[in-house]
Amino acid sequence: MQAPAPLSQAELDRTRDFIQAVRERVGTVVVGQDVVVERLLIALFTGGHILLQGVPGLAKTLLVSVLARSIDLDFARIQFTIDLLPADILGSEILDQRTSEFRIRKGPVFTNLLLADEINRAAPKVQGALLEAMQERKVTIGNETFKLPAPFLVIATQNPIEQAGTFELPEAQLDRFMLVHRLVYPKPEEEREVLMRNAALGIEKSGKGAIARTEFDALAREPVGSTKELVDAMEAVHRVHVSETFVEHVVDLVGRSRVHPAVELGCSPRAGISLIKSARARALMHGRRYAIPEDLFALAEDVMIHRMRLKYEAIAEGVTNRMVLDELLSALGSGAERAHKPATASV
Amino acid sequence: MSVALALALCALQAPLAKTTVGIAARVEQLVLPGSELVVAHADRDAPLVLRIVATWPHGDALRYDLEFWALEAGEYDLRTLLARADGAALAPDELPPIPVTVGAVLSDKSAQPHVPGAARAERIGGYTKLAIAAGVVWVSGLAWLLWSGRKRRVAQQAAPERPRTLAERLAPLVERARDGQLTSSERSQLELSLVAFWRRKLGLESERPELAVAALRSHAQAGPLLVSLERWLHEPAHSESIDIAALLAPYRDLPPDALDEPARGTR
Repeated sequence: MQAPAPLSQAELDRTRDFIQAVRERVGTVVVGQDVVVERLLIALFTGGHILLQGVPGLAKTLLVSVLARSIDLDFARIQFTIDLLPADILGSEILDQRTSEFRIRKGPVFTNLLLADEINRAAPKVQGALLEAMQERKVTIGNETFKLPAPFLVIATQNPIEQAGTFELPEAQLDRFMLVHRLVYPKPEEEREVLMRNAALGIEKSGKGAIARTEFDALAREPVGSTKELVDAMEAVHRVHVSETFVEHVVDLVGRSRVHPAVELGCSPRAGISLIKSARARALMHGRRYAIPEDLFALAEDVMIHRMRLKYEAIAEGVTNRMVLDELLSALGSGAERAHKPATASV
Repeated sequence: MSVALALALCALQAPLAKTTVGIAARVEQLVLPGSELVVAHADRDAPLVLRIVATWPHGDALRYDLEFWALEAGEYDLRTLLARADGAALAPDELPPIPVTVGAVLSDKSAQPHVPGAARAERIGGYTKLAIAAGVVWVSGLAWLLWSGRKRRVAQQAAPERPRTLAERLAPLVERARDGQLTSSERSQLELSLVAFWRRKLGLESERPELAVAALRSHAQAGPLLVSLERWLHEPAHSESIDIAALLAPYRDLPPDALDEPARGTR
């Protein structure tokens, strides 16, 4: 695979400075979660979409808000509920009674950074409308088709508990998300820092009263990066070199997922594309002009797990997608030649 | 008394009852002399069946209601089917005749059934033969499966294919790399095999791959190898400046059992 032109050291340094500035700004409000920030930036730089899975209270919304403000991007948030309609997201035609003509009212999807909170709470037709917009990057309202602004990134969240009254995203729609990242609780020292910072927020006087300040109130207004710098970073990502050897690694790993005996549905070619795209972005964020196997190992979980569907027998045996992925990576790393059926499979 | 009995005997010469085949008929209020009478034991093939319906005392005799039915047309004397209840022998003329007539339902011109043939039915019928044949086929198939499975197992036991160890897989890749003949697929295998080699050597196999690679990076021997491999295989600008022969020299003549266990694989 040939990159258009190799990145110069100056370009690399400039991009790294931009990324570092964004990370530092995010770090002023969000404690820890370095991996999540990295994944969000990977999604932003590659034009992919990301689904964050985690229990409430892990600063998902705060994270996206601070990211949007750090790069001077438009930001919109939709709380998905059961009674949400596609028009509530995409927009609709309304009758202007003064002119007796229909006019378009664009929905919140027309933004740079869209936070789709608890996407699994909406009905499938609403999920479908958003996922179609994510895929095609355009929206049709009435007879008119509108392009979505660039950059356009959907950051969806999903609560892995409280599944009653939710509509789980099927694999075909999960495949639209380049990354699915599973958030974990902060480490004790990080949690201690969260509590200390929150305790220091104080109150904000408003008129004759006052209200307790939140982390959202502490967000700095001025961005640390411009849209131009973001576009430069996106260009830089596309100029990160991906060797034929790396492509072989990806093809091998994705191929193994399709023949694993515990897997009913393996990874699609889109998984391979996503692996390469995200590996490029990660390489750039780590100051490299080329992707290496470490990028593949680090990103495989977020790229591949949601694209594999296990057999019922395997699920009954207690096998999880994570276990299968570990097995695939171990088989890859052990140097075992590509097989039709991995010998180490337990199912 | 004797006059009355004579008159009765004269009257009894005519059939006392008429019926047709299969239809029951009765002779009622028939006075018969002597002790009580019962129906003599008759065989199952008798053409006529007799039943005493009721018995009453009648002076020093008894009065009977008799019921009969026959399966063959003809003239019958019911007297022949009676016997003394006390088991005493019944003299031929001790009872008066009790003639009855059983008429045919079909006319004489109607068709007569054929006499059944004398041939005996076969002991084993068509269905039994079919079942036996299917059983033979099934058992034959089972025997063939068992035999072929055993043959395959014996063949496998005779020549077990030992999985190639990691060192054995590495050796030809290193040789081809020194000669500059590696394909992109082989380069991929070489890199991952070397990573696996060091993971196994440093006991990092149970670690997650990304953490294991990070640990290798900080190792005195594995770290420089990993960096050189990455620069050789992934960074085009440095591909010419790496001395491949020197880099891979330590892995050229590894003994097959250089590492503890065979690598997991399918070959």
